[in-house]
Amino acid sequence: MTLSFAPGDSLAHRLDPRSKLLVQVAFAAVAYAYTTPRGLVVLTLVAVGCLLAADGGPRDLWSYRVAFPVLLFAPLVAGATLGAPWFRVERAATTGLASYRVLLLLVVAAAYVRSTPVRESRAALQRTVPGRPGVFLGVGVALVFRFLPLLKRDLVATREAVRTRLGAERSRRERMRLVAVGGLSRALSRADRLGTALVARCFAWNPTLPRLAFRRVDAPALALAAAMFAAAVLRVA
Amino acid sequence: MATNTESVDLVGDEAATNLARAALFAALVGAFAYVTFPNPVSPVDVTLQVLGVFLAGIFLGPVWGGASLVLYLAAGALGAPVFEGGSAGFGQLVGQTAGYLWSYPVAAAVVGAVVHRGATLRDLDSVGLPTLVGAMVLGTVVIYGFGVAGLMLVLSLGPIEAIAAGAAAFLPAEALKIAAAVGVVRSDAIAAA
Repeated sequence: MTLSFAPGDSLAHRLDPRSKLLVQVAFAAVAYAYTTPRGLVVLTLVAVGCLLAADGGPRDLWSYRVAFPVLLFAPLVAGATLGAPWFRVERAATTGLASYRVLLLLVVAAAYVRSTPVRESRAALQRTVPGRPGVFLGVGVALVFRFLPLLKRDLVATREAVRTRLGAERSRRERMRLVAVGGLSRALSRADRLGTALVARCFAWNPTLPRLAFRRVDAPALALAAAMFAAAVLRVA
Repeated sequence: MATNTESVDLVGDEAATNLARAALFAALVGAFAYVTFPNPVSPVDVTLQVLGVFLAGIFLGPVWGGASLVLYLAAGALGAPVFEGGSAGFGQLVGQTAGYLWSYPVAAAVVGAVVHRGATLRDLDSVGLPTLVGAMVLGTVVIYGFGVAGLMLVLSLGPIEAIAAGAAAFLPAEALKIAAAVGVVRSDAIAAA
């Protein structure tokens, strides 16, 4: 189960992608400013609210499972000491809160990913970052989304080919090299064909993008982002 | 659709090819996140992302290599499943892997700058083995320096604790990746003109 855009008509789906990005940044700021038990309780409600607003659920967090061991392990490492008292509870608690904060950030990010199609993300990026860097980011991000599945398939094919030829008997370094050579040569040939195709189709610095507009439905999200920013600034100041 | 009335401003041939390569390398680093190998010293598997970072610096040079990894981060933040374990989202850029992720563009630029001795690309056949290995060792130092600093800041750990929690188990595998990258650069199958 990977986390990806799921079509829908939830509140989060109807928001402008820029409001959702602002909410995420503001949430991160406020989460770092208020890493206290009380602050995190409030932020848990906000984070769960965001995920519910995107029609998401616990299964959307499954793709973050590789992060969980470190988050669980870190408080234990922080608490452990060599020599008496062997385990310092307050150090473990500080890191435990920090770990939980990271989990909340992932929940809010999951809500964005679930509710935002690629072309809207791209348009948001390109309209926020001005000029050619914005176009570069926008086009590049769209191409990464497009080519990731193809390159993943290339790598799987390479690994299968290596295995079929008893490559699993080879050393780990050699197996890594074979997979990398396979992936890289496919990626380079795809890139060269793509570059030629882009030029042939009048690839321009100023393409036409889908229209984005803040609407009334964005007001609560923008207000939430502003409130969280204000809270974070107040705390730091 | 929004309407644009200005005239079309074409992207040049070279820039278009470089952009395509940067995007493909970003996608390749993402695809490498799914390729796991058993770790020699720990039950946690290692992925090949760092190898992708090295290769981006070596094959694209400091400017486009760095730009490629910026694309990787942007695509991941906007929802492409390119981060560790196929995850995505802005949360990763401010979470416990933040240090590692933000180090990638810097590391690719550093590797590229050392290998090519500046911003203009030179023929990889003329690059000596010590330069190649030195560049990647430096890149590894950058990645783990940022990564450990990120763990310390995000999870309020001390330096030793951060190394124990997120670096010690993976560092030995980096030597394998450096060796594999040398093999890739010296391979006849890759002809990047």
